[in-house]
Amino acid sequence: MVRVPINILVVDDEEDFVEMFSLRLEEMGEIVKGVNSGQECLDVLESTDVDVVILDIKMPGMDGIETLREIKRRRPITEVILLTGHGTTDTAVEGMKLGAFDYLNKPADFKDLMEKLEGARKRKAEQEERIRKAESRSLMRRSGNLF
Amino acid sequence: MSTEKAVKVLLVDDEDAFRQALAKRLERRRIEVFQAADGKSALEALKAFPVNVAVMDVKMPGMDGLETMACIKRDFPDTEVILLTGHAAVEDGIAGIRAGAFDYLQKPVETENLLNKIHQAYDKSRHQHDLAKEAELREALEKQMATAERLASLGTLAAGVAHEINNPLAIISEAAGYLQLLLKKDECREMPFHDRFEKAIEKIEKSVKRARRTTMQLLGFAGQPDAVYREIELDDLVEEVILLAAGQASAAGVTVAKEKNPSSVTLWTDPHRLRQVLINLVSNGIAACGRGGRVSLSFDSSNDWATIQVKDTGHGIPKENLERIFEPFFTTKPPGKGTGLGLFVSLDIVKRLGGDMQVKSKVGKGTIFQVSVPRLSKTCPGVCNDIDWRDKARELERRDNHGTGAH
Ligand SMILES: Nc1ncnc2c1ncn2[C@@H]1O[C@H](COP(=O)(O)OP(=O)(O)OP(=O)(O)O)[C@@H](O)[C@H]1O
Ligand SMILES: [Mg+2]
Ligand SMILES: [Mg+2]
Repeated sequence: MVRVPINILVVDDEEDFVEMFSLRLEEMGEIVKGVNSGQECLDVLESTDVDVVILDIKMPGMDGIETLREIKRRRPITEVILLTGHGTTDTAVEGMKLGAFDYLNKPADFKDLMEKLEGARKRKAEQEERIRKAESRSLMRRSGNLF
Repeated sequence: MSTEKAVKVLLVDDEDAFRQALAKRLERRRIEVFQAADGKSALEALKAFPVNVAVMDVKMPGMDGLETMACIKRDFPDTEVILLTGHAAVEDGIAGIRAGAFDYLQKPVETENLLNKIHQAYDKSRHQHDLAKEAELREALEKQMATAERLASLGTLAAGVAHEINNPLAIISEAAGYLQLLLKKDECREMPFHDRFEKAIEKIEKSVKRARRTTMQLLGFAGQPDAVYREIELDDLVEEVILLAAGQASAAGVTVAKEKNPSSVTLWTDPHRLRQVLINLVSNGIAACGRGGRVSLSFDSSNDWATIQVKDTGHGIPKENLERIFEPFFTTKPPGKGTGLGLFVSLDIVKRLGGDMQVKSKVGKGTIFQVSVPRLSKTCPGVCNDIDWRDKARELERRDNHGTGAH
Protein backbone atom coordinates (compact mmCIF):
# COMPACT_ATOMS: atom_id res chain seq x y z
CA MET A 1 0.00 0.00 0.00
CA VAL A 2 1.30 3.42 -0.83
CA ARG A 3 1.60 5.61 2.19
CA VAL A 4 0.15 9.08 1.87
CA PRO A 5 2.91 11.56 2.71
CA ILE A 6 2.45 14.03 5.52
CA ASN A 7 2.74 17.72 4.74
CA ILE A 8 5.22 19.04 7.25
CA LEU A 9 6.49 22.51 8.02
CA VAL A 10 9.69 22.65 10.07
CA VAL A 11 10.25 25.91 11.97
CA ASP A 12 13.54 26.49 13.75
CA ASP A 13 16.01 29.35 13.88
CA GLU A 14 18.88 26.88 13.44
CA GLU A 15 19.24 26.74 9.67
CA ASP A 16 21.44 23.65 9.69
CA PHE A 17 18.92 21.84 11.80
CA VAL A 18 16.06 22.71 9.47
CA GLU A 19 18.10 21.57 6.48
CA MET A 20 19.21 18.22 7.91
CA PHE A 21 15.90 17.47 9.54
CA SER A 22 13.99 18.24 6.35
CA LEU A 23 16.28 16.05 4.25
CA ARG A 24 15.77 13.20 6.63
CA LEU A 25 11.99 13.56 6.71
CA GLU A 26 11.88 13.83 2.92
CA GLU A 27 13.95 10.70 2.69
CA MET A 28 11.23 9.07 4.80
CA GLY A 29 8.75 10.08 2.12
CA GLU A 30 7.17 13.15 3.66
CA ILE A 31 6.59 16.48 1.97
CA VAL A 32 8.61 19.03 3.88
CA LYS A 33 9.09 22.77 3.90
CA GLY A 34 11.43 24.55 6.26
CA VAL A 35 11.56 28.12 7.57
CA ASN A 36 13.61 29.91 10.23
CA SER A 37 11.15 32.12 12.10
CA GLY A 38 7.66 32.27 13.52
CA GLN A 39 6.63 34.99 11.09
CA GLU A 40 7.77 32.98 8.07
CA CYS A 41 5.84 30.04 9.47
CA LEU A 42 2.62 32.07 9.57
CA ASP A 43 3.25 33.37 6.07
CA VAL A 44 3.67 29.88 4.68
CA LEU A 45 0.51 28.69 6.41
CA GLU A 46 -1.46 31.44 4.62
CA SER A 47 -0.77 29.90 1.25
CA THR A 48 0.14 26.26 1.80
CA ASP A 49 -1.74 23.29 3.13
CA VAL A 50 0.22 21.87 6.05
CA ASP A 51 -0.77 18.88 8.20
CA VAL A 52 1.81 19.22 10.94
CA VAL A 53 4.07 22.07 12.02
CA ILE A 54 7.21 21.04 13.90
CA LEU A 55 7.96 24.13 15.90
CA ASP A 56 11.03 25.10 17.91
CA ILE A 57 10.11 26.82 21.16
CA LYS A 58 13.13 29.02 21.58
CA MET A 59 13.55 31.38 18.68
CA PRO A 60 14.49 35.05 18.53
CA GLY A 61 11.64 37.44 17.74
CA MET A 62 8.35 35.62 17.77
CA ASP A 63 9.02 32.53 19.85
CA GLY A 64 7.42 29.12 19.47
CA ILE A 65 4.69 29.67 22.03
CA GLU A 66 3.59 32.93 20.42
CA THR A 67 3.68 31.34 17.01
CA LEU A 68 1.63 28.42 18.26
CA ARG A 69 -0.96 30.75 19.69
CA GLU A 70 -1.25 32.52 16.35
CA ILE A 71 -1.43 29.24 14.41
CA LYS A 72 -4.23 27.99 16.62
CA ARG A 73 -6.08 31.27 16.29
CA ARG A 74 -5.87 31.32 12.51
CA ARG A 75 -6.05 27.60 11.67
CA PRO A 76 -6.98 25.58 14.72
CA ILE A 77 -7.00 22.41 12.69
CA THR A 78 -3.27 22.51 11.91
CA GLU A 79 -1.42 20.20 14.28
CA VAL A 80 1.74 21.38 16.04
CA ILE A 81 4.56 19.38 17.59
CA LEU A 82 6.86 21.43 19.78
CA LEU A 83 10.61 21.01 19.94
CA THR A 84 12.49 22.06 23.03
CA GLY A 85 16.20 22.24 23.65
CA HIS A 86 15.49 23.07 27.24
CA GLY A 87 14.36 19.73 28.52
CA THR A 88 12.02 21.37 31.00
CA THR A 89 8.42 20.42 30.69
CA ASP A 90 7.05 23.78 31.79
CA THR A 91 7.02 25.55 28.42
CA ALA A 92 6.03 22.35 26.72
CA VAL A 93 3.18 22.10 29.15
CA GLU A 94 2.09 25.63 28.35
CA GLY A 95 2.18 24.65 24.70
CA MET A 96 -0.01 21.63 25.29
CA LYS A 97 -2.54 23.83 27.02
CA LEU A 98 -2.57 26.03 23.95
CA GLY A 99 -3.43 23.03 21.82
CA ALA A 100 -0.12 21.61 20.65
CA PHE A 101 -0.38 17.93 19.78
CA ASP A 102 2.79 16.97 21.65
CA TYR A 103 6.36 17.95 22.33
CA LEU A 104 9.82 16.50 21.90
CA ASN A 105 13.17 17.18 23.51
CA LYS A 106 16.08 18.01 21.27
CA PRO A 107 17.83 15.95 20.09
CA ALA A 108 14.72 13.91 19.48
CA ASP A 109 14.51 10.19 19.08
CA PHE A 110 13.56 9.75 15.44
CA LYS A 111 11.27 6.78 15.99
CA ASP A 112 9.46 8.75 18.65
CA LEU A 113 9.11 11.62 16.26
CA MET A 114 7.72 9.49 13.44
CA GLU A 115 5.10 8.06 15.79
CA LYS A 116 4.04 11.48 16.92
CA LEU A 117 3.89 12.74 13.36
CA GLU A 118 1.60 9.88 12.46
CA GLY A 119 -0.55 10.58 15.52
CA ALA A 120 -0.80 14.24 14.67
CA ARG A 121 -1.75 13.55 11.10
CA LYS A 122 -4.43 11.14 12.26
CA ARG A 123 -5.90 13.61 14.68
CA LYS A 124 -6.04 16.24 11.98
CA ALA A 125 -7.80 13.84 9.60
CA GLU A 126 -10.37 13.01 12.25
CA GLN A 127 -11.02 16.66 12.94
CA GLU A 128 -11.47 17.33 9.25
CA GLU A 129 -13.87 14.43 8.99
CA ARG A 130 -15.90 15.72 11.89
CA ILE A 131 -16.04 19.20 10.43
CA ARG A 132 -17.15 17.78 7.10
CA LYS A 133 -19.93 15.84 8.74
CA ALA A 134 -21.04 18.80 10.80
CA GLU A 135 -21.06 20.97 7.69
CA SER A 136 -23.06 18.58 5.67
CA ARG A 137 -25.52 18.21 8.55
CA SER A 138 -26.01 21.92 8.86
CA LEU A 139 -26.25 22.12 5.10
CA MET A 140 -29.00 19.53 5.14
CA ARG A 141 -30.78 21.29 7.94
CA ARG A 142 -30.59 24.54 6.10
CA SER A 143 -31.85 23.03 2.91
CA GLY A 144 -34.60 21.32 4.95
CA ASN A 145 -35.72 24.71 6.14
CA LEU A 146 -35.80 26.01 2.67
CA PHE A 147 -38.17 23.43 1.37
CA MET B 1 30.88 43.36 83.47
CA SER B 2 33.37 40.76 84.48
CA THR B 3 32.66 40.99 88.19
CA GLU B 4 29.04 39.90 87.95
CA LYS B 5 29.91 36.28 87.60
CA ALA B 6 32.50 34.66 89.83
CA VAL B 7 35.82 34.73 88.02
CA LYS B 8 37.52 31.35 88.03
CA VAL B 9 41.26 31.15 88.38
CA LEU B 10 43.70 28.29 88.37
CA LEU B 11 46.53 28.89 90.78
CA VAL B 12 49.70 26.93 90.10
CA ASP B 13 52.62 26.98 92.54
CA ASP B 14 54.83 24.32 94.06
CA GLU B 15 55.09 26.06 97.43
CA ASP B 16 52.02 24.86 99.30
CA ALA B 17 52.01 27.50 102.00
CA PHE B 18 52.35 30.38 99.56
CA ARG B 19 49.73 28.96 97.22
CA GLN B 20 47.17 28.32 99.92
CA ALA B 21 47.60 31.74 101.46
CA LEU B 22 47.19 33.43 98.10
CA ALA B 23 44.17 31.29 97.31
CA LYS B 24 42.50 32.35 100.53
CA ARG B 25 43.12 35.97 99.84
CA LEU B 26 41.67 35.67 96.35
CA GLU B 27 38.67 33.73 97.53
CA ARG B 28 37.89 36.45 99.98
CA ARG B 29 37.66 38.75 96.97
CA ARG B 30 35.03 36.50 95.39
CA ILE B 31 37.38 34.70 93.02
CA GLU B 32 36.81 30.98 92.60
CA VAL B 33 40.21 29.33 92.87
CA PHE B 34 41.40 25.94 91.70
CA GLN B 35 44.84 24.87 92.78
CA ALA B 36 47.63 22.80 91.29
CA ALA B 37 51.09 22.10 92.68
CA ASP B 38 52.89 21.52 89.39
CA GLY B 39 52.57 21.92 85.64
CA LYS B 40 51.27 18.47 84.95
CA SER B 41 48.43 18.64 87.43
CA ALA B 42 47.68 22.16 86.18
CA LEU B 43 46.97 20.76 82.75
CA GLU B 44 44.85 17.99 84.25
CA ALA B 45 42.90 20.54 86.25
CA LEU B 46 42.25 22.67 83.17
CA LYS B 47 40.89 19.67 81.37
CA ALA B 48 38.38 19.10 84.16
CA PHE B 49 37.67 22.72 85.07
CA PRO B 50 38.40 25.11 82.24
CA VAL B 51 39.10 28.63 83.51
CA ASN B 52 39.75 31.94 81.85
CA VAL B 53 42.80 32.86 83.87
CA ALA B 54 45.74 30.88 85.23
CA VAL B 55 48.12 32.39 87.73
CA MET B 56 51.36 30.44 87.67
CA ASP B 57 54.75 30.37 89.28
CA VAL B 58 57.64 30.31 86.82
CA LYS B 59 60.09 28.36 88.93
CA MET B 60 58.68 24.92 89.51
CA PRO B 61 60.31 21.52 89.62
CA GLY B 62 59.46 19.28 86.64
CA MET B 63 57.65 21.28 83.99
CA ASP B 64 58.41 24.90 84.73
CA GLY B 65 55.99 27.77 84.29
CA LEU B 66 57.02 28.64 80.73
CA GLU B 67 56.75 25.07 79.53
CA THR B 68 53.39 24.68 81.17
CA MET B 69 52.22 27.90 79.65
CA ALA B 70 53.17 26.68 76.18
CA CYS B 71 50.97 23.63 76.73
CA ILE B 72 48.11 25.76 78.03
CA LYS B 73 48.34 28.10 75.04
CA ARG B 74 48.24 25.13 72.75
CA ASP B 75 45.40 23.18 74.38
CA PHE B 76 43.32 25.95 75.93
CA PRO B 77 43.85 28.99 73.72
CA ASP B 78 41.14 30.95 75.54
CA THR B 79 42.98 30.80 78.88
CA GLU B 80 45.13 33.80 79.79
CA VAL B 81 48.22 33.20 81.92
CA ILE B 82 49.65 35.54 84.55
CA LEU B 83 53.15 34.54 85.60
CA LEU B 84 54.64 34.94 89.04
CA THR B 85 58.39 35.43 89.07
CA GLY B 86 61.08 35.58 91.72
CA HIS B 87 61.81 39.08 92.92
CA ALA B 88 64.93 39.75 90.86
CA ALA B 89 63.93 37.75 87.80
CA VAL B 90 62.73 40.37 85.33
CA GLU B 91 64.07 38.31 82.41
CA ASP B 92 61.75 35.47 83.31
CA GLY B 93 58.80 37.81 83.15
CA ILE B 94 59.82 39.29 79.83
CA ALA B 95 60.45 35.89 78.33
CA GLY B 96 57.01 34.91 79.58
CA ILE B 97 55.30 37.82 77.88
CA ARG B 98 57.15 37.06 74.68
CA ALA B 99 55.84 33.52 74.93
CA GLY B 100 52.28 34.75 75.28
CA ALA B 101 51.69 35.46 78.97
CA PHE B 102 49.12 38.12 79.71
CA ASP B 103 51.50 39.73 82.20
CA TYR B 104 53.87 38.92 85.04
CA LEU B 105 54.09 39.93 88.68
CA GLN B 106 57.07 39.72 90.95
CA LYS B 107 56.85 37.95 94.23
CA PRO B 108 55.93 38.89 96.84
CA VAL B 109 52.53 39.49 95.30
CA GLU B 110 50.38 42.42 96.23
CA THR B 111 46.80 41.15 96.31
CA GLU B 112 45.14 44.26 94.95
CA ASN B 113 47.57 44.33 92.08
CA LEU B 114 47.04 40.68 91.22
CA LEU B 115 43.30 41.09 91.44
CA ASN B 116 43.45 43.88 88.91
CA LYS B 117 45.51 41.81 86.55
CA ILE B 118 43.18 38.85 86.95
CA HIS B 119 40.18 40.94 85.98
CA GLN B 120 41.97 42.41 82.99
CA ALA B 121 43.09 38.99 81.86
CA TYR B 122 39.59 37.68 82.36
CA ASP B 123 38.10 40.40 80.18
CA LYS B 124 40.66 39.77 77.48
CA SER B 125 40.00 36.07 77.55
CA ARG B 126 36.27 36.55 77.27
CA HIS B 127 36.67 39.04 74.50
CA GLN B 128 38.97 36.76 72.60
CA HIS B 129 36.57 33.90 73.07
CA ASP B 130 33.78 35.98 71.57
CA LEU B 131 35.96 37.02 68.69
CA ALA B 132 36.88 33.44 67.95
CA LYS B 133 33.22 32.39 68.04
CA GLU B 134 32.31 35.25 65.79
CA ALA B 135 35.03 34.38 63.32
CA GLU B 136 33.94 30.77 63.34
CA LEU B 137 30.36 31.75 62.67
CA ARG B 138 31.31 34.14 59.94
CA GLU B 139 33.42 31.52 58.27
CA ALA B 140 30.60 28.96 58.38
CA LEU B 141 28.19 31.50 56.98
CA GLU B 142 30.53 32.52 54.22
CA LYS B 143 31.11 28.92 53.30
CA GLN B 144 27.37 28.33 53.16
CA MET B 145 26.77 31.37 51.03
CA ALA B 146 29.58 30.47 48.71
CA THR B 147 28.04 27.04 48.23
CA ALA B 148 24.59 28.48 47.63
CA GLU B 149 25.96 31.02 45.20
CA ARG B 150 28.02 28.44 43.43
CA LEU B 151 25.00 26.19 43.07
CA ALA B 152 22.81 29.02 41.84
CA SER B 153 25.29 30.13 39.23
CA LEU B 154 26.02 26.54 38.35
CA GLY B 155 22.31 26.02 37.78
CA THR B 156 22.01 28.95 35.40
CA LEU B 157 25.18 27.97 33.68
CA ALA B 158 24.04 24.37 33.40
CA ALA B 159 20.77 25.36 31.76
CA GLY B 160 22.55 27.60 29.29
CA VAL B 161 25.21 25.07 28.45
CA ALA B 162 22.71 22.24 28.11
CA HIS B 163 20.60 24.26 25.74
CA GLU B 164 23.55 25.36 23.67
CA ILE B 165 24.72 21.78 23.41
CA ASN B 166 21.34 20.24 22.67
CA ASN B 167 20.91 22.30 19.52
CA PRO B 168 24.13 21.27 17.78
CA LEU B 169 23.49 17.75 19.05
CA ALA B 170 20.16 17.79 17.28
CA ILE B 171 21.86 18.83 14.05
CA ILE B 172 24.47 16.09 14.39
CA SER B 173 21.76 13.60 15.15
CA GLU B 174 19.61 14.53 12.15
CA ALA B 175 22.60 14.63 9.82
CA ALA B 176 23.72 11.19 10.95
CA GLY B 177 20.19 9.86 10.63
CA TYR B 178 19.93 11.28 7.14
CA LEU B 179 23.20 9.64 6.11
CA GLN B 180 21.97 6.38 7.47
CA LEU B 181 18.84 6.59 5.35
CA LEU B 182 20.95 7.36 2.27
CA LEU B 183 23.16 4.35 2.91
CA LYS B 184 20.10 2.14 2.92
CA LYS B 185 19.09 3.25 -0.57
CA ASP B 186 19.55 0.84 -3.45
CA GLU B 187 21.99 3.19 -5.21
CA CYS B 188 24.30 3.01 -2.22
CA ARG B 189 24.23 -0.68 -1.64
CA GLU B 190 27.32 -1.27 -3.76
CA MET B 191 29.14 1.79 -2.56
CA PRO B 192 32.75 1.23 -1.43
CA PHE B 193 33.28 1.10 2.34
CA HIS B 194 29.54 0.90 2.83
CA ASP B 195 29.75 -1.05 6.07
CA ARG B 196 32.42 1.18 7.50
CA PHE B 197 30.31 4.22 6.85
CA GLU B 198 27.45 2.56 8.59
CA LYS B 199 29.59 1.65 11.55
CA ALA B 200 30.97 5.16 11.89
CA ILE B 201 27.50 6.65 11.77
CA GLU B 202 26.38 4.26 14.47
CA LYS B 203 29.18 5.57 16.69
CA ILE B 204 28.04 9.12 16.07
CA GLU B 205 24.50 8.25 17.07
CA LYS B 206 25.66 6.46 20.17
CA SER B 207 27.75 9.41 21.25
CA VAL B 208 24.90 11.81 20.64
CA LYS B 209 22.77 9.74 22.98
CA ARG B 210 25.51 9.81 25.59
CA ALA B 211 25.89 13.57 25.44
CA ARG B 212 22.14 13.95 25.51
CA ARG B 213 22.01 11.99 28.74
CA THR B 214 24.43 14.43 30.32
CA THR B 215 22.55 17.50 29.19
CA MET B 216 19.27 16.02 30.37
CA GLN B 217 20.70 15.31 33.81
CA LEU B 218 22.06 18.84 33.90
CA LEU B 219 18.71 20.28 32.95
CA GLY B 220 17.02 18.19 35.58
CA PHE B 221 19.22 20.01 38.00
CA ALA B 222 18.96 23.42 36.46
CA GLY B 223 15.53 24.54 35.48
CA GLN B 224 12.41 23.14 37.03
CA PRO B 225 10.26 26.09 37.95
CA ASP B 226 6.89 24.52 37.25
CA ALA B 227 6.94 21.25 39.11
CA VAL B 228 3.68 19.36 38.93
CA TYR B 229 2.54 18.28 42.37
CA ARG B 230 -0.09 15.69 42.95
CA GLU B 231 -1.09 13.00 45.36
CA ILE B 232 0.66 9.70 44.91
CA GLU B 233 0.78 6.35 46.60
CA LEU B 234 4.40 5.48 47.43
CA ASP B 235 3.74 1.87 46.63
CA ASP B 236 2.78 2.80 43.08
CA LEU B 237 5.83 4.96 42.68
CA VAL B 238 8.13 2.20 43.87
CA GLU B 239 6.47 -0.28 41.52
CA GLU B 240 6.98 2.11 38.63
CA VAL B 241 10.63 2.53 39.51
CA ILE B 242 11.13 -1.22 39.65
CA LEU B 243 9.46 -1.55 36.28
CA LEU B 244 11.58 1.17 34.74
CA ALA B 245 14.76 -0.37 36.14
CA ALA B 246 13.87 -3.85 34.96
CA GLY B 247 15.85 -3.59 31.76
CA GLN B 248 19.07 -2.45 33.40
CA ALA B 249 18.58 -4.97 36.20
CA SER B 250 18.18 -8.04 34.03
CA ALA B 251 21.08 -7.00 31.82
CA ALA B 252 23.26 -6.83 34.93
CA GLY B 253 21.83 -9.99 36.48
CA VAL B 254 20.64 -8.10 39.53
CA THR B 255 17.32 -8.49 41.31
CA VAL B 256 15.41 -5.32 42.06
CA ALA B 257 12.54 -5.84 44.46
CA LYS B 258 10.29 -4.23 46.98
CA GLU B 259 11.26 -5.29 50.47
CA LYS B 260 8.56 -5.08 53.09
CA ASN B 261 5.06 -4.14 52.28
CA PRO B 262 4.05 -1.35 54.62
CA SER B 263 0.52 -0.08 54.61
CA SER B 264 -0.27 2.65 52.16
CA VAL B 265 1.72 5.84 52.33
CA THR B 266 0.36 8.78 50.41
CA LEU B 267 2.36 11.84 49.49
CA TRP B 268 1.59 15.17 47.97
CA THR B 269 4.71 15.74 45.93
CA ASP B 270 6.29 16.08 42.50
CA PRO B 271 6.18 12.45 41.33
CA HIS B 272 8.24 13.05 38.23
CA ARG B 273 11.20 14.39 40.19
CA LEU B 274 10.91 11.95 43.03
CA ARG B 275 10.83 9.13 40.52
CA GLN B 276 13.96 10.51 38.89
CA VAL B 277 15.67 10.42 42.28
CA LEU B 278 14.68 6.82 42.95
CA ILE B 279 15.68 5.71 39.49
CA ASN B 280 19.08 7.32 39.94
CA LEU B 281 19.54 5.52 43.27
CA VAL B 282 18.37 2.16 41.96
CA SER B 283 20.52 2.56 38.88
CA ASN B 284 23.55 3.24 41.09
CA GLY B 285 22.69 0.24 43.21
CA ILE B 286 22.49 -2.04 40.22
CA ALA B 287 25.79 -0.71 38.90
CA ALA B 288 27.44 -1.44 42.24
CA CYS B 289 26.28 -5.07 42.31
CA GLY B 290 27.78 -7.98 40.46
CA ARG B 291 25.67 -10.77 39.00
CA GLY B 292 23.40 -12.20 41.65
CA GLY B 293 23.26 -8.92 43.56
CA ARG B 294 20.14 -7.44 44.98
CA VAL B 295 18.67 -3.96 45.21
CA SER B 296 15.71 -3.59 47.50
CA LEU B 297 13.34 -0.72 48.00
CA SER B 298 11.38 -0.10 51.12
CA PHE B 299 9.46 2.82 52.48
CA ASP B 300 7.81 3.98 55.61
CA SER B 301 6.19 7.02 57.13
CA SER B 302 5.94 8.71 60.43
CA ASN B 303 3.74 11.74 61.04
CA ASP B 304 4.54 14.24 58.35
CA TRP B 305 7.49 12.47 56.81
CA ALA B 306 7.96 9.64 54.39
CA THR B 307 11.22 7.76 54.04
CA ILE B 308 12.32 5.61 51.16
CA GLN B 309 15.30 3.30 51.38
CA VAL B 310 17.28 1.93 48.48
CA LYS B 311 19.55 -0.83 49.68
CA ASP B 312 22.04 -2.81 47.63
CA THR B 313 24.44 -5.69 48.17
CA GLY B 314 27.08 -4.04 46.00
CA HIS B 315 30.75 -3.18 46.50
CA GLY B 316 30.05 -0.28 48.84
CA ILE B 317 31.62 3.15 48.93
CA PRO B 318 35.06 3.68 50.49
CA LYS B 319 35.23 6.30 53.24
CA GLU B 320 37.29 8.73 51.23
CA ASN B 321 34.63 8.77 48.51
CA LEU B 322 31.65 9.11 50.79
CA GLU B 323 32.10 12.86 51.09
CA ARG B 324 32.49 13.30 47.39
CA ILE B 325 29.70 11.26 45.85
CA PHE B 326 27.28 14.20 45.93
CA GLU B 327 29.70 16.47 44.08
CA PRO B 328 28.79 17.20 40.48
CA PHE B 329 30.77 15.10 38.00
CA PHE B 330 32.24 12.84 40.65
CA THR B 331 32.15 9.35 39.27
CA THR B 332 34.17 6.17 39.59
CA LYS B 333 32.68 4.75 36.43
CA PRO B 334 34.76 4.54 33.25
CA PRO B 335 34.46 7.43 30.77
CA GLY B 336 31.20 7.38 28.92
CA LYS B 337 29.52 5.18 31.48
CA GLY B 338 28.63 7.70 34.17
CA THR B 339 27.96 11.42 34.22
CA GLY B 340 28.64 11.78 37.92
CA LEU B 341 25.53 13.93 38.07
CA GLY B 342 23.05 11.34 39.33
CA LEU B 343 23.48 11.90 43.03
CA PHE B 344 24.16 15.59 42.72
CA VAL B 345 20.91 16.11 40.88
CA SER B 346 19.05 13.74 43.17
CA LEU B 347 20.12 15.55 46.32
CA ASP B 348 19.21 18.84 44.73
CA ILE B 349 15.73 17.56 43.91
CA VAL B 350 15.17 16.09 47.35
CA LYS B 351 16.24 19.37 48.96
CA ARG B 352 13.81 21.25 46.73
CA LEU B 353 11.05 18.94 47.88
CA GLY B 354 11.94 20.00 51.41
CA GLY B 355 13.65 16.74 52.32
CA ASP B 356 17.09 15.27 52.76
CA MET B 357 19.15 12.24 51.82
CA GLN B 358 21.44 10.02 53.89
CA VAL B 359 23.89 7.34 52.95
CA LYS B 360 25.40 4.44 54.86
CA SER B 361 27.88 2.11 53.27
CA LYS B 362 30.22 -0.75 54.08
CA VAL B 363 32.89 -1.68 51.61
CA GLY B 364 32.29 -5.19 50.35
CA LYS B 365 28.86 -5.37 51.98
CA GLY B 366 26.61 -2.82 50.39
CA THR B 367 25.06 0.59 50.57
CA ILE B 368 21.86 2.14 51.85
CA PHE B 369 20.53 5.43 50.58
CA GLN B 370 17.68 6.91 52.54
CA VAL B 371 15.49 9.68 51.18
CA SER B 372 13.23 11.59 53.54
CA VAL B 373 10.60 13.91 52.17
CA PRO B 374 7.74 15.75 53.78
CA ARG B 375 4.45 14.04 53.01
CA LEU B 376 3.12 17.40 51.96
CA SER B 377 5.53 19.23 49.68
CA LYS B 378 4.64 22.76 48.57
CA THR B 379 1.11 22.80 47.23
CA CYS B 380 0.58 23.24 43.57
CA PRO B 381 -1.13 26.13 41.80
CA GLY B 382 -4.58 25.87 40.25
CA VAL B 383 -3.59 23.86 37.22
CA CYS B 384 -4.39 20.59 38.90
CA ASN B 385 -8.13 21.20 38.80
CA ASP B 386 -8.17 20.83 35.07
CA ILE B 387 -8.63 17.09 34.63
CA ASP B 388 -7.74 16.98 30.98
CA TRP B 389 -4.58 18.78 31.64
CA ARG B 390 -3.60 16.55 34.50
CA ASP B 391 -3.79 13.49 32.29
CA LYS B 392 -1.56 15.15 29.82
CA ALA B 393 0.91 16.06 32.53
CA ARG B 394 1.07 12.49 33.68
CA GLU B 395 1.68 11.39 30.16
CA LEU B 396 4.47 13.92 29.83
CA GLU B 397 6.06 12.70 32.99
CA ARG B 398 5.96 9.11 31.96
CA ARG B 399 7.60 9.88 28.72
CA ASP B 400 10.16 12.26 30.15
CA ASN B 401 11.19 9.58 32.41
CA HIS B 402 11.94 7.19 29.62
CA GLY B 403 13.92 9.89 27.94
CA THR B 404 15.96 11.22 30.82
CA GLY B 405 15.93 9.26 33.97
CA ALA B 406 16.35 5.63 33.16
CA HIS B 407 19.87 4.71 32.28
N1 LIG C 1 24.90 2.29 45.59
C1 LIG C 1 26.19 2.59 45.38
N2 LIG C 1 27.17 1.70 45.67
C2 LIG C 1 28.47 2.01 45.46
N3 LIG C 1 28.90 3.20 44.96
C3 LIG C 1 27.98 4.13 44.67
C4 LIG C 1 26.59 3.89 44.85
N4 LIG C 1 25.92 5.02 44.48
C5 LIG C 1 26.85 5.89 44.08
N5 LIG C 1 28.09 5.38 44.17
C6 LIG C 1 29.35 6.06 43.84
O1 LIG C 1 29.10 7.43 43.67
C7 LIG C 1 29.51 7.87 42.37
C8 LIG C 1 28.63 8.99 41.89
O2 LIG C 1 27.31 8.51 41.65
P1 LIG C 1 26.37 9.34 40.67
O3 LIG C 1 25.06 8.68 40.60
O4 LIG C 1 26.38 10.77 41.08
O5 LIG C 1 27.12 9.27 39.28
P2 LIG C 1 27.36 7.97 38.41
O6 LIG C 1 26.45 6.89 38.84
O7 LIG C 1 28.82 7.69 38.41
O8 LIG C 1 26.93 8.48 36.98
P3 LIG C 1 25.43 8.34 36.34
O9 LIG C 1 24.50 8.62 37.46
O10 LIG C 1 25.39 9.32 35.26
O11 LIG C 1 25.35 6.93 35.87
C9 LIG C 1 29.50 6.61 41.54
O12 LIG C 1 30.35 6.70 40.43
C10 LIG C 1 29.94 5.55 42.55
O13 LIG C 1 31.32 5.57 42.71
MG1 LIG D 1 16.04 27.68 18.75
MG1 LIG E 1 24.33 7.29 39.06
